[in-house]
Amino acid sequence: MSEKKIVTKTQTQDLEKKEHKEERIVAGRFFIPPTDIIENKESLIVMMDLPGVEKKDLRVKLENNMLEVEGRIDYSTYEGLNPVYTEYNIGNYARSFKVSHAVDTRNIEAVLKEGVLSLTLLKEPEAEPREIVVK
Amino acid sequence: MFENLSSGLDVAVQKAVEQARDTNFFKAGITGRGVYPFINLFEKDGDLVLTAELAGVKKEDLTIEVREDVLRLAGTRKIAYGEDCSCHRLERKGLNFDRSIKLPFRVEGGLIKAEFKNGLLQVTLPRAEADKPKKIIIN
Repeated sequence: MSEKKIVTKTQTQDLEKKEHKEERIVAGRFFIPPTDIIENKESLIVMMDLPGVEKKDLRVKLENNMLEVEGRIDYSTYEGLNPVYTEYNIGNYARSFKVSHAVDTRNIEAVLKEGVLSLTLLKEPEAEPREIVVK
Repeated sequence: MFENLSSGLDVAVQKAVEQARDTNFFKAGITGRGVYPFINLFEKDGDLVLTAELAGVKKEDLTIEVREDVLRLAGTRKIAYGEDCSCHRLERKGLNFDRSIKLPFRVEGGLIKAEFKNGLLQVTLPRAEADKPKKIIIN
């Protein structure tokens, strides 16, 4: 095939898992979880698909305005099972986002339900305009 | 030889190959794709274990049926946001699905166990007693 390959994406391909390319300290595969980011008047909502991740194996960290989500799956579920037919790969999940200063980083709510993590980031109340007195 | 093909044809060929793969035309190996939900089938002590990732699907929106050697997975994955919301990124998909999977043997209907936890479905499908091979004793 020629060098400049144009790959047209079908909808089914969009549903496939994407794997992280960079190396990590933890052994095993890491996938990029599909994520929705929605904004309404008072908050930003991040919804992330993390099937198979339990609450205790999920870590949400905020450092230097980077919001990091890492979810580990329980490999013991698959112990003693021989694959006969497979359509997807299993592995952990990791994804990080840069959070802007417009977000109140002290009040982030995280809920994990039915394998979906939802993060609610409240917007910082806009700094009130004030006049500076000249001395 | 392929270098001479025009890029338009190149894309067409790529697309045809992708589509053929989605329909399992090549029957290559034990992997498949192109359907939702993705499933994995495992063998354990002669029985089958099916797993599927169904994050965000509610238990009451999911139907699992087994008839003889065909398993049906149907349901809805609802993703809805309010009118006042604007989106920055939409990667998750809400959809209706209905999928039938032919199993390699008949299943003992009464002994099927299904567990749905953290968006991960796990169904244990024991082989029907009547379907198991019979050992013949040589006189």
